Amino acid sequence: MRELVLIQPGRVLVGPSERESESCRAHREFEERLAECGPLAFRVAHGVLRNAADAEDVAQEALLKAYRNFGRLREPARFRGWLVRITFRMALDRWRSVKRREKRETQGEPPEQRAVGPTVEELAVSSEFQARLERAMEELPEKFRLVLLLAAIEGHTLEEVSGVLGIPMGTVKSRLFFARKQLAEKLR
Amino acid sequence: MSCEGYRDKLIAALASGDSSLAGDVAVHLGICAECKKFYEAQVHLFGAIDSGVRAMVNEAVPASLSPRVRAQIAEADMPRRMWGVSWSFAAVAVTVLVISVTVLKRSRDNTNKVADRSPAVGQRASGATGVRAVLPQVAAVGPKRRSPEVQTATAPREAVKAPEVIVLAEERAAFARFVTDLPEEREVAVAFTRPATDAEDEAVEIALLQIDELDVKPLESSNP
Repeated sequence: MRELVLIQPGRVLVGPSERESESCRAHREFEERLAECGPLAFRVAHGVLRNAADAEDVAQEALLKAYRNFGRLREPARFRGWLVRITFRMALDRWRSVKRREKRETQGEPPEQRAVGPTVEELAVSSEFQARLERAMEELPEKFRLVLLLAAIEGHTLEEVSGVLGIPMGTVKSRLFFARKQLAEKLR
Repeated sequence: MSCEGYRDKLIAALASGDSSLAGDVAVHLGICAECKKFYEAQVHLFGAIDSGVRAMVNEAVPASLSPRVRAQIAEADMPRRMWGVSWSFAAVAVTVLVISVTVLKRSRDNTNKVADRSPAVGQRASGATGVRAVLPQVAAVGPKRRSPEVQTATAPREAVKAPEVIVLAEERAAFARFVTDLPEEREVAVAFTRPATDAEDEAVEIALLQIDELDVKPLESSNP
């Protein structure tokens, strides 16, 4: 039996083998992005959640989502920015749901007594300082928080943060400045 | 400038990550012990903030992350492929179903049309000797009637429930003509309507048919 093929002008005919190789190429490219950006996604999630298991779950979900949208995220810079933003959002959602669950579970229990009096120096070395820092971070506006987290990732320069988020360098610096200043005010 | 003003400048410098102090602020710190103490505390605080935030994000990445993502991707791809196959099967099944229904419907329509035009002939099974056909008695069948009505006058009620025989229109017309001529051939009519007996038929001698004269006439039904 003869096969009829519709050829439209101006369109490249893609055969099954070409489609397959295209799919293989996309898969290989995603593998590269996974190796490069997987740790970044995990760290952003961990910065929000402070729990390795939860952060891994969120990073995994975000990477899977990225895979599904890889067709329009082939450009590496775009991929990184998209992945960071989606991971941050997903981590915040997870964090909020964890908080809601904790609130439900602790309803009726007496409120946590907050220690007062220790100096900044004493707090800095204590785990309580870390807890207070985390609470202060949670109160930061999201855009400040994300910049602070990205800038704190090892090997990340401010230029890279600017590139990842697609915002000017001046904006990165100003957000970082206000984030640190607000944290210091809360912790002083 | 008051100490408060110098402290604001100190905080701004530390918050921006700039460790070098402006000249006037540095001079003030040299002469104001309170502000110097405040400055040292702030340096410590900002350092603690930085190290705390770094500790939050620079957690060791679990080795299981990439394999888990790959496994998830494989899992996500699998149903998509399965869905593709399922949809193909579903499409083929639906096509076959539609064709079958159409063919069945058409054949049923044709059957109904033929049945509408054909008389039903009742049959009755009798005894252990086998099946014997009881021919219906036809009443007042005119040759020009389009659908001669055949009544099963002698057939009992159960004959109505018996399966119907579908007869072609030409056969029906021929049968009607034959029945019309039956009164002239009384014996034939009786033989047709009487149930068959179990007795064996006797051998009958039949004389050869001789035709002296042949008169050909057009059939009535072939009139325009």
